[in-house]
Amino acid sequence: MELEEISPFIVDGGLRLGADEVAAMAIHNTSRQVRFANNEVTVTETWDEVRAGMLLKKDQRVLTASISELSTEGIQKALKDLVGMADLMAAHKNYAPLPQGPFRYQTIQGLYDDRIPKLQEKSVDYVESAINSALDSGGKRAAGTLLATDSESFLTTSGNVQANGKKTTINMVVRCLSNGESSGMGVTCGTTLGDFDPEEAGREAGRLAKMSERLKPGRSGSYDVILGRIASAGLFDIIGGMSSAFYVDSGFSCLAGKLGEKIGCDEIVVYDDATATEGLGSTPFDDEGCPTGRTTIIEDGILRSYLHNSFTARKHQTKSTANAGWINPRASNIIVKEGRLSEDELFKGVKDGLYVHNLTYIRFQDYRKGDFSASTRDGVFRIEDGEITEAVKGLRLSDNLIRMLRDITSLSKEAKQISHWWMGFGTPSVKTPLIHVKNVGFTVPTK
Amino acid sequence: MRELADFAVHYARELGADYAEARLHSDLGNVYLMKNGNPEVAGFRREQGVGIRVLVNGGLSFASFNRPDKNLAEERVKEAVRMAKASVRVMRKPISLSHEKVVEEKWEVRPRTPFQEVSMREKIELLSDIDKAVSSPDEVEASVPSRILQLIESTTEKYFVNSEGATIISKVPRISFIGFLAAHEKGETEQDYIQKGESRGWEAVEEWKLIDHAKERAKTLGKILKTGRKAPKGKIDLILGNQIAGLMAHESTGHPYEADRIFGREAAQAGESFITKEMIGKKIGSEEVTVVDDPTVKNSYGYYLYDDEGTPARRRFLMKEGIVNEFLHNRETAAQMGVSSNAAARSSGFNREPIVRMANTFILPGDHVFDELVEGIRFGVYIKTFGEWSIDDRRYSMRFVGRECYLIENRELKGMVRHPILEITTPGFCSSIDALDKSLVFEAAYCGKGDPDQAIPVWHGAPNVRVRGVHLGGIV
Repeated sequence: MELEEISPFIVDGGLRLGADEVAAMAIHNTSRQVRFANNEVTVTETWDEVRAGMLLKKDQRVLTASISELSTEGIQKALKDLVGMADLMAAHKNYAPLPQGPFRYQTIQGLYDDRIPKLQEKSVDYVESAINSALDSGGKRAAGTLLATDSESFLTTSGNVQANGKKTTINMVVRCLSNGESSGMGVTCGTTLGDFDPEEAGREAGRLAKMSERLKPGRSGSYDVILGRIASAGLFDIIGGMSSAFYVDSGFSCLAGKLGEKIGCDEIVVYDDATATEGLGSTPFDDEGCPTGRTTIIEDGILRSYLHNSFTARKHQTKSTANAGWINPRASNIIVKEGRLSEDELFKGVKDGLYVHNLTYIRFQDYRKGDFSASTRDGVFRIEDGEITEAVKGLRLSDNLIRMLRDITSLSKEAKQISHWWMGFGTPSVKTPLIHVKNVGFTVPTK
Repeated sequence: MRELADFAVHYARELGADYAEARLHSDLGNVYLMKNGNPEVAGFRREQGVGIRVLVNGGLSFASFNRPDKNLAEERVKEAVRMAKASVRVMRKPISLSHEKVVEEKWEVRPRTPFQEVSMREKIELLSDIDKAVSSPDEVEASVPSRILQLIESTTEKYFVNSEGATIISKVPRISFIGFLAAHEKGETEQDYIQKGESRGWEAVEEWKLIDHAKERAKTLGKILKTGRKAPKGKIDLILGNQIAGLMAHESTGHPYEADRIFGREAAQAGESFITKEMIGKKIGSEEVTVVDDPTVKNSYGYYLYDDEGTPARRRFLMKEGIVNEFLHNRETAAQMGVSSNAAARSSGFNREPIVRMANTFILPGDHVFDELVEGIRFGVYIKTFGEWSIDDRRYSMRFVGRECYLIENRELKGMVRHPILEITTPGFCSSIDALDKSLVFEAAYCGKGDPDQAIPVWHGAPNVRVRGVHLGGIV
């Protein structure tokens, strides 16, 4: 069966078997990755996969499946099994029907670059130039990944939706190590090769590793902090995840119950924008077929909206924000609006504080309150009178996410899209400037 | 698709690969999810595909596909060989694999009660009964408004072949339960995360007694909120319960002993290690501490008899009486170290390369009974379960925040204390242990590593352990 035939076949088949509503998404994804460490390629990988996801609703029972056996018989068996499961399942208490199309979808510029699937050996050249750039900038060992994806998807729903799209992405992360624990990190990513700059990612990683060569033990305390873009992306990935109404309703989000409340400083504006140019999470339609757009999550520090699919929207008596996920609404591209200060001006505003380039292993003590801690790495520097004076190590950021949002004092005027391994809440990308936060808690181990 | 796996290996060799392997890997899994009493969704995931790995002129390449199409298999093998060759120019030293015994074997875990013999209605009802039990204020004496309950059953089948002549066929059923609970009281919350998992059939669920277990955990949250007092700070003796000590075995002994981390292969993602290859034989813990990783523990969540490179599994003694003893190896890292693989290569699906992973990591028990641990403490805290856990990527500096915790005064357990925070280094922790009790309790978990991330089922376990003279402190 051809890719475009799969989703209509599933929807027709499901309805014929007695389902009330069916949605199906067929995807062909070919991804290629080059991994490297110690200035050498460690492995190259290619994944070529076709799979179909299906949502079936019957008598207010909700079922989903993902299958890779896409013959006529394979699909029919999956549908029969789902319908059989529906008969044994209990009814959903917040049931909502699928959105009714047809819809018109916005064309997102630059969503597909046909050079990306053809990179092949060229991707090794990119890796080589990133490594050389990191070493030329003073680093000693470069590690990282180059990931290039090429996907085509077809969505059909019984709500009169027929949508399809093609997309490419490219993402490179370079981590450079110098002496002992000294390290730096750089990221470059997008949907086209337009702004893709492996040398700059390598340069940033190498430069920070070099600057970190003489590390001094950090001291516990409360500091004014400038969060680098990679660190900020780690935190706003969580804001993206926790703004999903699924997590809000589950009771495991520190944004729960705060709609309309001031949760951040006046300057903070956060969007989810699935139509962002070069956005790794950009898509013209969500999994229910709704046309995507921009949703303001935080504006002037006030929590304006959660992210919804049709189920959560009905429960919250609002409209879907076109962030479906059939079960769980999810962020697409989180965008933190730029501020007014140059990076120099931002640093000048810190008399005695820290710059933190990356946060890893962010873990919550209390999801509802937002208490968490995270390790710092890849460039942690003391700032005195607006200048970086020394590199420090061993600091753990221990604070509260909402308190940190409230104590943001300023943001730099240049934002950059970031995606990296430690963004554990699954937001595809965060575009963020540098952020200055007051009075952030840091600790060190005591034995 | 077995013939495509065989074909891929032969074709890769024809194209000049020095070594080739293929793994036909299928995962069939059912999932049932209940949120705050609502049956959100049930469904399944059925995936099958072939993962190929080739070594050409010292360059390593992995490729996967999931359609039964010989032309596609050909295309993917060709590209893998081509990319392996291309990668060699950004390498100083060719990759090689350790020499291992070639095995032809078939093994499986036979469930006493296969999942399909239990009706879906019974499974949904079980989740519903757990939900009712933990949300009933009469039963648990607490308000638990936030509840996510999930039951996952899966069967993994693999057909592994390589160009050295190995053929290994396996089948493993796995079942797990995951529960998130949050209790509220006067604006304060306490959360708990429960996970059970075994490589067995439905009989495991029956033995878990999930309703009683979840009820107890919910009840405890209420007690913490109502009676928990501020935890002491400063230098103190602790007893760390099975759950937290087991997690520490996984996070601060298992991960830093993964040889690929030691050699820097994961530097940009999961990170490296404070352990270096020169540290074999170095003492970093007290003599009481022996940590093993063992894939062959019967019924365990991380159970296997052969790893995803075809190497026979065995118990690995990572730390022996406080001394760094052995790392976790696949064939690549074993060749780098000049040793044999100890079968730690695991892959989470057909589309993931096998990398160095743990299976079931645990501290071997001691010879005390729990009361003796308590009797040895004049003033301290017993941290039975944990809430937050975080560690740096070298696995050196960690923090955890206690959940169910009790004050110890004059050699007796007293009332509950809230959120003691321990921030300590791995050697600091391992060298502060002075006694372990006879118990050994395992917890199931999914361990994350690799890029793309590969979540794999593991157990971690430990006895209750006593640690001397550490600091409770931290902020938040």
